[in-house]
Amino acid sequence: MRFLVATLMVALVAVGAQAQAPAAIEDELVLITPVSKFVFDGALKAFGEYAKQKWNVTVKTNGIPAGTPLAYGRIVEWKGKPEADIFWGGESALFEKLADQKLLVKLELPKAVADAVPASIGTPKPVPLKDPDGYWIGTALEPYGLVYHPKVLQRLGVPALKDWDDLLNPKLKGQIAQCAPTRSSSSNATYEVMLQSKGEAAGWEWLKKLADNTGHFTARSRDVPNVVAKGEFAVGFAVPSYMAFEEKVSGFDIKFVAPKNAFVTPEPMAILAGARHPKAARAFIEFLLTEQGQRVFMESGLFPLSPKYRMQGASGSKIELAVDFTGGVRSYFDAPVANVYDEDVAKKRSEALKERFRKDIETTWKKP
Amino acid sequence: MGGPDMAPPTPQALARAPGDPGRGSTADSFTPRQRVAGLRRALPLAGVALIWLFLLAFLVYPLGRIFYDAVTDEAGRLTLANFVAFARDPFYVRSLANSVLLGLGTVAATSVLGFAIAFLLVRYDFAGRGLFGYLTLIPIISPPLVGVLGFTFILGRAGTVNVLLMDWLDRIQPINFVYGVHGVLLVETLHLFPMITLNVVDALGKIDPSLEEAAASVGAREWRRLRTVTLPLTTPGYVAGALLVFIWTFSDFATPLVLGVHDLLASQAYLNIVQFVDRRLFRMGIVISALMVGLAVVFLLAARRYVAIKDYSSLSYARLARRRLTGVRQALAVGFLSLVLLASFIPYAGVALASVGRGWSLTPLPTAWTLQFFERVIVETPKYIVNSLLYSGLAVIFCIAVGVPIAWILARTTLPGRDTLDALNTLILAIPGTAIGIAYIRAFHADLPWIGRPLTGLWIILPLVLCIRRLPYTVRGSYASLLLVHRSVEEAAASVGATGARTFRDVTLPMIWRGVLVGSLFSFMTSLQEASAVLFLALGGWETIPVGIFSFYIAGSASEAAALGVVLIVVAAVSLAVINRVAGARMGGMFG
Repeated sequence: MRFLVATLMVALVAVGAQAQAPAAIEDELVLITPVSKFVFDGALKAFGEYAKQKWNVTVKTNGIPAGTPLAYGRIVEWKGKPEADIFWGGESALFEKLADQKLLVKLELPKAVADAVPASIGTPKPVPLKDPDGYWIGTALEPYGLVYHPKVLQRLGVPALKDWDDLLNPKLKGQIAQCAPTRSSSSNATYEVMLQSKGEAAGWEWLKKLADNTGHFTARSRDVPNVVAKGEFAVGFAVPSYMAFEEKVSGFDIKFVAPKNAFVTPEPMAILAGARHPKAARAFIEFLLTEQGQRVFMESGLFPLSPKYRMQGASGSKIELAVDFTGGVRSYFDAPVANVYDEDVAKKRSEALKERFRKDIETTWKKP
Repeated sequence: MGGPDMAPPTPQALARAPGDPGRGSTADSFTPRQRVAGLRRALPLAGVALIWLFLLAFLVYPLGRIFYDAVTDEAGRLTLANFVAFARDPFYVRSLANSVLLGLGTVAATSVLGFAIAFLLVRYDFAGRGLFGYLTLIPIISPPLVGVLGFTFILGRAGTVNVLLMDWLDRIQPINFVYGVHGVLLVETLHLFPMITLNVVDALGKIDPSLEEAAASVGAREWRRLRTVTLPLTTPGYVAGALLVFIWTFSDFATPLVLGVHDLLASQAYLNIVQFVDRRLFRMGIVISALMVGLAVVFLLAARRYVAIKDYSSLSYARLARRRLTGVRQALAVGFLSLVLLASFIPYAGVALASVGRGWSLTPLPTAWTLQFFERVIVETPKYIVNSLLYSGLAVIFCIAVGVPIAWILARTTLPGRDTLDALNTLILAIPGTAIGIAYIRAFHADLPWIGRPLTGLWIILPLVLCIRRLPYTVRGSYASLLLVHRSVEEAAASVGATGARTFRDVTLPMIWRGVLVGSLFSFMTSLQEASAVLFLALGGWETIPVGIFSFYIAGSASEAAALGVVLIVVAAVSLAVINRVAGARMGGMFG
């Protein structure tokens, strides 16, 4: 009897091992990311279902939400023994800084997956969508634009916003919310866009006028669409599209517009050196670049990273709501994308920009 | 300070060391009985050593570490350049001045409210006095962020009041009730006035009525009695409360940030510390934290010095004859208290509405109702509640394990270092949570031997930091009741042959459990609400309710944050009701 049990157990273990054999991935995955919970929760959930189906592995997923600077700082502090597997979101320059410090590993994605992502988008300055050295790859396209509350604008007698200069309307005095570029990478990028498209002197003049109309500097960039959705302020500056879309999905009346030259980011993703779950991490990235993965983003108000996919859903679907919300754009590959943002210029000016902001705007700004 | 640590221990209490079997031992050497006695002597000493080790490792070392960081550069060289840079930066200097002004302003505002309420509650009787006594404590349990969010829902630019004003009066621009320093002052005042009330109620309860009667008998009128007798007697309790109000306001970063006020020291510490990328700003955040701890210590020492001179507190609670208010006076008292309560319950109304309203914008009340947010934070992600209860529960166990012995040492022994222990315990109350969180990050990021991971990578760090932060309440609760147990009672037990352990179990414990319970419940309740230190330390999967509130809020989901806030308020209100029942007026001693 005892022998029988033992045999049975050995057999069971063997069968178990066989069933697990194709389970090429670990059962845990941790992200550290500035991308909002709204987006990463959806992506992790979809990946969990995919992994269950493909490998019969129940992956315990977790996201550590952290603003770009904080996430970067934590990765550096971890010194190659990270508490997360994947870093996702923020500017590609930071990813290159991490790769230089040997804190990332090469992705080594299958060639077909990597090749499906175009090298860059935009003119005159192309925005890279993947790292030629293979340390990071984009996940979805995302513009940083303006949000506004139509009802508040209407009450103020201000027409719907279309371009950057509409923000300087004197009727909007005290009605604009923004986050300081010292604290928000989306704000920093949009400040750069203004400086690079208008020239340094004129750019700062414009930004100071914007500050004169600003009624609230938020602690984090995510607060900007939040206070606008609630109607506390009429307009938000430098807001990533998905953040605003999240408010729309939660039932708030809010509109998004990406004016000319608006910053576009591919939301880069990389695997951390020393990650405890490298296979799950790689599987996650591959999954996000499949059609199924890209749909998760489209339903969150982000745009597909490849011309292969387009924002197209049943009428009344979340994707159609997103298309309507962002002004009818279905793919960033349909029409030429204007981009003046130069990563190298921005990188070099990073300190100076923050210093000048503190001196010329933060220290002198008065609540209107 | 109004509480236990200022009350001079009785001479009997100081006469003997703990566990000293005293008269039990004889001169004969090496009797078995003596060996046991020797063990009995050694064990408590080992316990004392462990307690010191705990405090050194988790309080003194981390704080020392941020001071070290503040006076060194990236290469580890000693320098004062960081402080020079701070002093040269007009924005930082302005932040420092604003923080001090805001702290003083809040102390002034809470004093007026707190004194008035304490007086009404202690000296007069009127309809609903008991209920008001409980309800006026409630604001203190308002979790961080929840209060200010609630205020913006009702008083914000698009809050209920402004929407009504705009709809009725056709106003185009809203009235700015909250965005700005005045908003911070309003929120902090309505949150913190119970700290003053509690301490003054405690102090008033200890005043011997015969003192005032004596003043009256020599012809002093009511106001004069108040000014020359009553107020001076409440000073120690009041100063203790005022100091806590000051430190709390001084170190709160969540409220000012929501209201767009950045030129405060705590806001700058938080904003700079989260800028890891910019090492210069990061170091500046550490410097500001060190400065905040330094200032807190200075204020604490100043307050202690002042109170130490004027220590009138006695341990007996006098039996008071309350004067019955009738007619117009009663109406005025009830009206005043109702008004204060109405104002301080604004955030609860706002948070409760936001937690069940969907897409609430520019209408006086939400137009669509839902329970989805509660479902999300309770059913879908129970981890917030589970973690909170687990960590706070563990923290309280640590608190009792460390705190009750500390209370014993303070109350019953003359061990060397006793004063330092007392000072450390009080210091904890004065140290901003922000600074503790930052100190832990700096101090515990090195790999531990055997485990191979740093303490900051293990979840046990959260109960540990919670225990350190909330230890004083357990110590004070236990200490206060130890002082109330007269030494002679224990001596009586010993004289009829009871051993030290037996005396403790049969005599001391039954008399002090109430104090220990109140103290540890307070530690538990305040642990549940702790956000400032935990925010810096929580990794994915370790989120507590306050961390959840914060991360939902910064992730833009104010409704989920509100739902979690409601959960926390309910848990805290229940704890407070229990404490109130067990402790009554004695709660004040916990805070000073």
